Amino acid sequence: MNRFLSKDFLSGLMFIGFGLIALYFGQKLALGTPVRMGPGYVPRMLSLTLLGLGALVCIIALVGGSDPVERIKLKPITLVTIGIVCFGLLFERAGLIPALVVLIMIASLAGEEFKLTEVIGNIIVLSVLCTLVFKVGLGMNIYILRGVW
Amino acid sequence: MDLLDNLTLGFSVALSFQNLTIGPVATIAMLLPITFHLPPTASLIMLAGIYYGAAYGGSTTSILVNLPGEASSVVTCLDGYQMARNGRAGAALSISAVGSFFAGTVGTIIIVMFAEPLTRMAQKFGPADYCSLMALGLVAAVILASGSVVKAIAMIFLGLLFGLVGTDVNTGAQRFTFDLPELSDGIDFAPIAMGLFGIAEIVVNLERHLTRTGGTIKVTSLWPTLEEVRRAVPAALRGTFLGAALGVLPGGGPTLGAFSAYTLEKKLSKNPGQFGKGAVEGVAAPEAANNAAAQTSFIPMLTLGIPSNAVMALMVGAMIIQGIQPGPEVMTKKPDLFWGMIASMWIGNAMLVIINLPMIGIWVKLLTVPYRFLAPAILLFCCIGAYSLQNSTFHVMQVAAFGILGYIFVKLGCEGAPFLLGLVLGPQMEEYFRRAMLLSRGDAMVFLQRPISLGLLITTAVLLILMALPSFKKAREKAFVEEEG
Repeated sequence: MNRFLSKDFLSGLMFIGFGLIALYFGQKLALGTPVRMGPGYVPRMLSLTLLGLGALVCIIALVGGSDPVERIKLKPITLVTIGIVCFGLLFERAGLIPALVVLIMIASLAGEEFKLTEVIGNIIVLSVLCTLVFKVGLGMNIYILRGVW
Repeated sequence: MDLLDNLTLGFSVALSFQNLTIGPVATIAMLLPITFHLPPTASLIMLAGIYYGAAYGGSTTSILVNLPGEASSVVTCLDGYQMARNGRAGAALSISAVGSFFAGTVGTIIIVMFAEPLTRMAQKFGPADYCSLMALGLVAAVILASGSVVKAIAMIFLGLLFGLVGTDVNTGAQRFTFDLPELSDGIDFAPIAMGLFGIAEIVVNLERHLTRTGGTIKVTSLWPTLEEVRRAVPAALRGTFLGAALGVLPGGGPTLGAFSAYTLEKKLSKNPGQFGKGAVEGVAAPEAANNAAAQTSFIPMLTLGIPSNAVMALMVGAMIIQGIQPGPEVMTKKPDLFWGMIASMWIGNAMLVIINLPMIGIWVKLLTVPYRFLAPAILLFCCIGAYSLQNSTFHVMQVAAFGILGYIFVKLGCEGAPFLLGLVLGPQMEEYFRRAMLLSRGDAMVFLQRPISLGLLITTAVLLILMALPSFKKAREKAFVEEEG
């Protein structure tokens, strides 16, 4: 097993990455003086500390070893993310029902079993439930189906 | 009776979610948006209701189907499920219910006793003291994170950095907003919590294609035998006090309480071999302890504004969104909210016993709903909830983004809780830090010159050194191994 692909080493890299991003985007913020700190003082402090900690995590991982990363299954995370993004894109443009149908379809594909009849049943139950709860019950200002209701 | 209505709503929601075995943090994160439409007191009472409901529902599923909904119920599985298999499911459920109620009552009394003196003490705190107190709170939280301490500390700093996104209060400068107007008020807390805890949890469950096995157990009589009562009472008493004490500690909480209580009972028992095979003490003590700790962990949050665990961090987030700055002022300036919440705690504990026991049949039915129906439904509620925060699809996209981040955290073995605590405390901590430095004319020695601050920092340092010591490290690792086993 490659020692660079361990959980801890990669976590360290992630911390270093976030630290560098924060340093880069924070460089234009005025630092000020310790008495009158500018908006950039604390972010600079934090990102430098995070860089240091990230490096420390990496070193400890290389010296002491750490568990290898579990195998990543791309399907669930990708489909779930796509589902949510589609929901976000459709919700205002088309309404609750179309957004819901797409989300449930895509999210159901992320699981192991996919039976169309079951998914359709789930969609119908959730559509009625959400319409009743959010539109009728809570009175939220949303479209159920844009142009219709 | 608004108070009762909100509590009932909180419970019914929490209990049903909990019985679908979704953890309390994910449940609260998901339901945060609903509470924003309520007035502050009502929303916090409802959140508290969700918290108890979740803490309590976890024991039902642990006993009946060997599925703990949350970390603090893991120990209940050990003996609770065994009791159920021996045909004592009803007895285990009622012992855990009555034990929890008793512990909750004691916990509430402790809150009432300690709230005022602690608040008075907190009012003497200057900015430097607060800053040190928060540092202590954050470091103490790390003890509870499993795995590497350095990683957990780095997660705190990452959380603090994310907390800085938005407009700088002192100068109005935009920080890390990438010219997105939606980010100028900071990253909303709810989408982060939903993404990190809700979405990531669903994805991980989908990957492991969670199957619900373990035949459902029939519940016959709820009455424990005299012998069981005789053994349960002292165990519940010990559990209550141990849990109450551990709950107050920063970084403590229900999980720590439950595990310590179980270990204590096992040590005290004349025949420790019974544990793991359906020992009554093994149900009574941890159940009482986790409830007592769930209560007393409100103390640092309500009086000092320091959340001691992820659930409390969510409560702080909810308060800030409602325009309430948690801390000593809550009790003096918003007495209705403060005492309303405390009253709701006790009523809540009593109601849980009344609601939960007769409805066990329904919970058992809910458990048979397959995950392939649940996962999409939970996703949907998260999306609608996120949208309803500010009627903006930007929040839905944030949920997606933080879902990915949460997934990465899980895969890399990085704990979400320290991140969340850092995120919640970040803005306040910066504010206090800057104010302290301004007052001391830029002399960082101020943190060491004020006695309160110095004491807190020394405690923090001692904790850090302890965690680095090999012997302590071993004990800590052992505790987590037991937890997993």
